[in-house]
Amino acid sequence: MRKFSLLLVILLLTVAGVGFAQDAPTVAVMTPFLAQPGTQIMVENFEAAAMEKGWSVNVIDTNEDIAALVSRMEDVALQGLDAIIINVDPTQVEPGLHAAVDAGIPVFGLDSGAHPLLVTNVTSNGYTMAAETATYVVDRLSGAGNVIMFIFEPYPPVQKRGAIARAIFENTPDITIADAITPSFDNGPLEGARNAMEAVLLAHPDAGSIQAVWAAWDDPALGALQAIEDAGRVDEGIVIVGIDATEQARDAIARGSNFEATVAQDFAGMAQKVADLVESHLGGANITQVNHYVPANLVTQADLGE
Amino acid sequence: MKDRESTGPARAAFSPERFLRRYGTLVGFILIVVFFWTQRPGTFMTIPNWVNITRQMSILGVVAFTMTIVMVTGDFDLSIGAMASLVGIVAGTTFQNDGAVGTAVALSLLAGVAGGLLNGVLVAYIGISAFVATLGTLTVFRGLALYISGGASIYGRVIPAEFSSFGRGAIPLGKIGATDLALPNLTILAILALILVFIILNYTIVGRRLYAIGGNMEAARFGGIRINRLRLLSFVISGLGAAVAGLMLFSRLSTAHPTQGEGLMLQAIAAVFLGMTLSEESQPNVGGTLIGVLILGVLANGLTQMQIDTYIQQISTGAIIILAVTLSSLSGQQRHYGRWLRRLLRRLPREGD
Repeated sequence: MRKFSLLLVILLLTVAGVGFAQDAPTVAVMTPFLAQPGTQIMVENFEAAAMEKGWSVNVIDTNEDIAALVSRMEDVALQGLDAIIINVDPTQVEPGLHAAVDAGIPVFGLDSGAHPLLVTNVTSNGYTMAAETATYVVDRLSGAGNVIMFIFEPYPPVQKRGAIARAIFENTPDITIADAITPSFDNGPLEGARNAMEAVLLAHPDAGSIQAVWAAWDDPALGALQAIEDAGRVDEGIVIVGIDATEQARDAIARGSNFEATVAQDFAGMAQKVADLVESHLGGANITQVNHYVPANLVTQADLGE
Repeated sequence: MKDRESTGPARAAFSPERFLRRYGTLVGFILIVVFFWTQRPGTFMTIPNWVNITRQMSILGVVAFTMTIVMVTGDFDLSIGAMASLVGIVAGTTFQNDGAVGTAVALSLLAGVAGGLLNGVLVAYIGISAFVATLGTLTVFRGLALYISGGASIYGRVIPAEFSSFGRGAIPLGKIGATDLALPNLTILAILALILVFIILNYTIVGRRLYAIGGNMEAARFGGIRINRLRLLSFVISGLGAAVAGLMLFSRLSTAHPTQGEGLMLQAIAAVFLGMTLSEESQPNVGGTLIGVLILGVLANGLTQMQIDTYIQQISTGAIIILAVTLSSLSGQQRHYGRWLRRLLRRLPREGD
């Protein structure tokens, strides 16, 4: 028991050393998606912006568990923070939003979605991003060919992308959507998309039977690229596009692989924007704009340089 | 909480070491509470926060309490999280098809019972190990939830207001000082589940027989216990618990997502294991499970209030579970196990059929 007590004391002291109280404004950044590269960039940049403003930042991740995020929101609401930033679909965390708003804590969305209980949401325009990559595909195929789509319906910002890309493909008479796949997340979206793409390649064994892969974000595009490379079908000229311009996607594009284009959401810009909006709100400004859109840009090999 | 053992044969005189071994987890829990109290005096040890914790832990509580019954017989039910998710989708789909709240709840509970029956038949009658069988049904339930929902969440206006307001509602109990005291509906459900499981395990013949099966299945069989039927029953109760938890989760979030209950399974098992350290015979017991659930809840709540990095939170929680179970196994509680079983079996004939 003595050992147990000692260990417990050490553990608690470690914990106590990490958490220290501060007088400066404290902002919590809450998300179930911290493992996603885009979320990481936003959080890191928000922390940097907050440090410049002299704030203390508390980052809370619940590892894809929405119910746990609601509980953590209720916890921080009791603490009397100055603001909460969420990166999750706000309709799924409404009890947490109510707890925060009831406690008088303003909540801001960071690439989450519009909601009446949010002061405002800062995001990229999902419709225009999907339109950028979908039209890139249509142009590269000269308006004809079979396209495989990787989509994700449960998360509204990503669902939007799929809807607009589908509309563009369906509006192009000679383009056929050969399959629309929701990759399994069991071992991360890369593995799920890779497995799915391997199956698609086996189902379309003839060279030239698939012209393009449109992915709603970069991970499945990278998974599809791996499947195409391992199947030895890189020379068929299959055009792959993604969205988000993660580091891995940029590398794949820069080396001249089948992964040709992605869209760079300005995550750093979004983080800075939401920090500025929090600052002006705390300063008494009245924010009426529901969504603040930060522009995003298409990234191809030419943009990355060599 | 464990009246049975206290009537046991001559006990050693009180020794502090023995006390701490036996109640180490409870002492640890109290230390954790005191620690957070000193660190966050203004917000942690307050009525709103404890109401908050009980509401947050109510859903895990229901599955952990019913999971205790399965674990008493020496089995596991890995499918409860997937079942909770599936039940949300069943209820949500019922709402989408203009079903009433009563219909949705009835269909959901039916789904839970059906899932439990499937698990029970696979384990008790076909003889597949509980681990493999419920891993299989976990995947089936998850697939069904994703298939029925098309992978999308069900939320918004299709969900009747009386359904979603239940999960957020509370029964007012008056005022303490300036604070309104109200008992959340979800907490009440968890308390009811706790009482029910406590009575089943401690005050019924069924409960004693479940413990006998977990103690030594062959001996229990020779003792005339209908093992298959009772193991089936334990899975049905677990399925029903998962269904209730799934409805609670759906009502609390007003959203049914095809994977939203999956975090429950590991946490429920962790809570039961923590609770087992509080039994002299290292047996699952629902009082201990309650302490296990509270430890997990208080850690998550307190560490969040202290602004501890969430990954450090996961490490601390895991470390505390390992620490508690290690301590309990070092103390050699398993040796009491044989004596516990003999005593139990001696009792059975007296209870009669």
